[in-house]
Amino acid sequence: MSGLRIVGSYFRTNWVIYVFGIGMVAFGSLLAAQIPSVLGRVTDCLREGKLGMSEMAGYVWLIVIIGVVRVATGWGGRVLVHHKGRELTYRLRKELFAKWGTLSPSYYHRHSVGDMISHALSDVEVVRELVSQGLNQGTSGMAMLLGASYLMAVHVDWRLTLAGLGPLLFIPLLVKWLGPQIRLQSQRSQEALGAMAQTTEEVIGGIRTVKAFGTEHVVISRFESRVDAIVEEKMRFVHLSALFGALLPLLVNLGFIFVLGYGGFLVTVKTISLGDFVAFTLYVAMLRMPLEQLGNVINIVQRSIASLNRIDELLHVVPDVIDRKGPLLDIPLQGSITVKGLSFSYPGSDRDVLHNISFCVKPGQTLGIIGAMGSGKSTLANLLLRLSDPPEGTVFIDDRDILHYPLARLRDGIAYVPQDGFLFSSTVLENIALSGEYPDRRKVERCAGVTAVHENILTFPEQYDTEVGERGVRLSGGQKQRIAIARMIYKDAPFQIMDDSLSAVDTATERRILDNLRELSKSCSGSEEGHDKATIIISHRLSAVQHADEILVLDEGSIIERGNHALLISQDGIYAEQWFMQAGQFEEGESDKSDADEQRDISPLDLDVEMEALEAGRLEEAS
Amino acid sequence: MNEKSPVRGSLATLIPYMKSHRLRLILVCILVVAVVVIDLIQPWLVKEVIDRYVTVTRPDSGAIMRMAAAYLGLVLLAFGLTYYQDIVLQRIGLSIVRSIRIDLFTHIQRLSLRYFDQNSAGRIITNVVSDTEALNNFFTQFLSNTLRGIFSLVLIMFFMLRLDVIIALYCFLLLPPVVLLAIYFQKQIRAVNAEVRHRLGVVIGFLAENLSGMAIVQIFNQEVKQQKRLDERNKALLESTILENRWFLLFFNITELLGDLAIAALIWFGGKGVIEGTISFGVLYAFVGYIRRFFQPINTISQQMNPLQSSIVASDRISRTLQELPDIKEVVGAEAPEVSGVITLAGASLAYRSGHTVLHDISLTIRPGERVGFVGATGAGKTSIMNLITRFYDVSAGAVIIDGKDIREWPLDALRRTVGIVQQDVTLFSGTIIDNLRFFQEDISDERVREACQLVGAEPFILRQPQGYNTILSERGSTLSAGERQLLSFARVLIFDPRILILDEATACLDSRTEEVLQKAIHRVSAGRTLLVIAHRLSTVQQMDTICVLELGMIVERGTHSELLRQRGYYWRLHESGMLLEEAA
Repeated sequence: MSGLRIVGSYFRTNWVIYVFGIGMVAFGSLLAAQIPSVLGRVTDCLREGKLGMSEMAGYVWLIVIIGVVRVATGWGGRVLVHHKGRELTYRLRKELFAKWGTLSPSYYHRHSVGDMISHALSDVEVVRELVSQGLNQGTSGMAMLLGASYLMAVHVDWRLTLAGLGPLLFIPLLVKWLGPQIRLQSQRSQEALGAMAQTTEEVIGGIRTVKAFGTEHVVISRFESRVDAIVEEKMRFVHLSALFGALLPLLVNLGFIFVLGYGGFLVTVKTISLGDFVAFTLYVAMLRMPLEQLGNVINIVQRSIASLNRIDELLHVVPDVIDRKGPLLDIPLQGSITVKGLSFSYPGSDRDVLHNISFCVKPGQTLGIIGAMGSGKSTLANLLLRLSDPPEGTVFIDDRDILHYPLARLRDGIAYVPQDGFLFSSTVLENIALSGEYPDRRKVERCAGVTAVHENILTFPEQYDTEVGERGVRLSGGQKQRIAIARMIYKDAPFQIMDDSLSAVDTATERRILDNLRELSKSCSGSEEGHDKATIIISHRLSAVQHADEILVLDEGSIIERGNHALLISQDGIYAEQWFMQAGQFEEGESDKSDADEQRDISPLDLDVEMEALEAGRLEEAS
Repeated sequence: MNEKSPVRGSLATLIPYMKSHRLRLILVCILVVAVVVIDLIQPWLVKEVIDRYVTVTRPDSGAIMRMAAAYLGLVLLAFGLTYYQDIVLQRIGLSIVRSIRIDLFTHIQRLSLRYFDQNSAGRIITNVVSDTEALNNFFTQFLSNTLRGIFSLVLIMFFMLRLDVIIALYCFLLLPPVVLLAIYFQKQIRAVNAEVRHRLGVVIGFLAENLSGMAIVQIFNQEVKQQKRLDERNKALLESTILENRWFLLFFNITELLGDLAIAALIWFGGKGVIEGTISFGVLYAFVGYIRRFFQPINTISQQMNPLQSSIVASDRISRTLQELPDIKEVVGAEAPEVSGVITLAGASLAYRSGHTVLHDISLTIRPGERVGFVGATGAGKTSIMNLITRFYDVSAGAVIIDGKDIREWPLDALRRTVGIVQQDVTLFSGTIIDNLRFFQEDISDERVREACQLVGAEPFILRQPQGYNTILSERGSTLSAGERQLLSFARVLIFDPRILILDEATACLDSRTEEVLQKAIHRVSAGRTLLVIAHRLSTVQQMDTICVLELGMIVERGTHSELLRQRGYYWRLHESGMLLEEAA
């Protein structure tokens, strides 16, 4: 029930508007319940023949006034309640997004983005239904029912009221009983439809295979069975909804029949007047809709409690990575990083993703890390960025534990390029200048020059103001990566981490970019030591790390080889093997390893591909 | 069935199907009329009670009771009829849509690969899934609501005219403004609704992007900035939903107000009539009852224009697909020759679009059991040659001859049994491993499947799966590694035992360890078969009996690995540079 707190506190803060809104809706409905009774009075007057045209005009005006006032108040009240309800959805979405901003990647690993979006949309919509439609319909239904019952039972005849309205009172129960079943069956039909869509997708996607094996008849019969399943599920749905669609008028008609028979009898014996009889028949017709809605409200309440609980839970997720309590080291980062005996496993798993990792990078130095996916490279990057917290006393920046820095300070000091060069759907300019408040156009162009993407950008329709599309879809993979690297350079932070960010760039350009970067991070070293940057390059491709001061080869979370390029080649281990693994070189045999350095312009390109396949295998074993 | 005629042209696809359900559709119409009449008779009954049994000198309560009892019978009948009518109509719709779906899918399966290459998978899937569902809506929403709406409207008018012609005509004056109002509001609401959906899409897009890029947002300390950006979009959505709601409320309340005003007017004019004695009180009552029911059907019908529109569009798209003709046609009475595995390309050319020839006059003979490698850059025509041999496409000039017979004269079935292909992307279907291996054909024995798996070396990893051969592949085998998937596809091809085997980049994208396993598998599989291998890595084809080097749709070099190296041509250059063919392109 904790989820209801969200709605409760919202009502409390907006109680004035809700009191007015609900009051108006109720008042409008109570007035609406007067109309049949007025018509009843007209009837009686007509019957008794004591109605002149002036009294008649009076009644007509009464109806007009009641009509106008009840519509106006009902309308106004509904506008208020709906408006507030929609504002609540707006607020919930905002709060959810703010919450998500504080959660670390480990949360995102455990929850699919699709699910989260569905919370932000459907769960929030269900809540909106509760606080706007549900509230309105509940209020007006109850008001109308109570108003009509009062007028009829107290002023006319309670037995007739019971007979006429009795069957109608089953309507909410009917809705409550059949509604969820219909909904469930409708979901089942949707699932059957989804299964057919899936089969179609598989067959169309694999049409070459289907045709190559000459198995069209097989897939057709599979498709047929899916279609038959849809018919079956939908017929079940139709049976339920047809039952509902037939029972509803039946209940109303039963009420009408009681009024017709019993009421007619009461008129003839003069227990009630003709006007009362008329009013009764009109009430039965009038109450059908509100009672149907009342049943619906019951269902909305049930559904929304589940949604509210989910939202409440989401809003109360405790982020894993937060600033430590107590005094923090709120000082700028300088640029040396030390890792000592770092082992790490994700919560709830006893398998070490990283095992006993130690290294040190000083300003101006470059560390290369290679390894297959699942070897722990990206986890290492996440720990350095504190997207997950490393264990105490393992990662040090400027000789102080990374956990003692405020997160904002830490992230100010680190520039990072993700694997896929993640871009936002805005302009090239804004993407590169993401870290700044106002983009500095000249600096952006300089950075784009460093990553050899400036010329490309100049060919775009609106150059730096070109929209890159959702996640940069309008750009090639290489362009995206180079823009992402420019974004890192723009940030001009003492630490730079590149997580496999040149994979889609050809080797010649890769060389150019890396040369430029090296120059850039050392250029100021003469004048000002503080500008030297510590760079960590994580890669699949050995060519990206071969000039690093130290290269770590990671396998299943452990460092299995380390040293610079020349040392690793001379060790003739995995690094060397991978370096030589390229097309044709195995068979020739004569390509001797001493040539390797000269041959560096030819990089082992298909290593990526192979490693990815390997990783896929390993990942699968892990899971 | 009157309402069908104005859209007959556009819903043409449905007509032949509906014809076979003609009688049942007529039955539905009769049932709808019966149900509507029983419902609409209520105000009339009250009128009868008032005028005949109450406001007379000797009120007759017995007659009233009898009337109520009789109506009870009718109401119970209506209950049954409503239920039955709904089920009959829906069943008609479902069985028509079922037939259309199966016909459409079967037709699409008959189309040749050109169709699939020219139309995106997404479009075809939409056609089969959503377009047919839109037709379903034609029955569930449009037809059922429109039938009921139109009959209600007509019958209300009929009852009114029977009561009193003059007052009825006055009431009908209300029709044009109500109809115009309904149409106007539907249009407005559709427009604001489109805007709401658009803005909702923007918010979803923004959330999707930011949630998947949350790490970047955090690393660049952009949380606050992104929250502001969400706020703009969120606010825009809020505004449009409020606007949409205002339109809804406006429409709803104006209709309500009109209803009340109409009653007031009726009381004024009708009441005058009662006082003057021109009409009875019962008639006035019945009018009040009917005028309240006047608005509902008009609203219902005006809401049906959207489903109708989308059904028409869907029906158009379906009929266009059904009119597509397959280019690959089977000769009637074709018979397969004795199969040994000789392939001859006799001046074969291929153009996917006329005027854009991708293969030029290829002549090549492959002996039974020969192993031939094809190398060349992307777009050189390797896959096009395979498209010809499998008869995915027909030659635009020349001929492809297998075992002495032009493949255009082969029965397609026999050709596809003779030529097997393993592709780079392994297609697995949702089902168990064994289902996939024998392509859901239960008549292929388990032993044969197992034998094939043992031969290619796939059995060990299959047995490692939780249910062995009966493991259900989740998400089409995405949990398997690329190498494992490829092993399954080798085993599958072996089960079908083709005399000619094509490996289309089958070992690309694999790491060297897996490739080694696969190379061994290829070795075993190729025994006694003609083998055609497409590769972009030279190492894959070095062992072949013949290597064909393709460039721009022509075979530029041909020979064994060492011969080609000696020629010091394109192949040699590629080999020396150590580059991949893809890079050379």
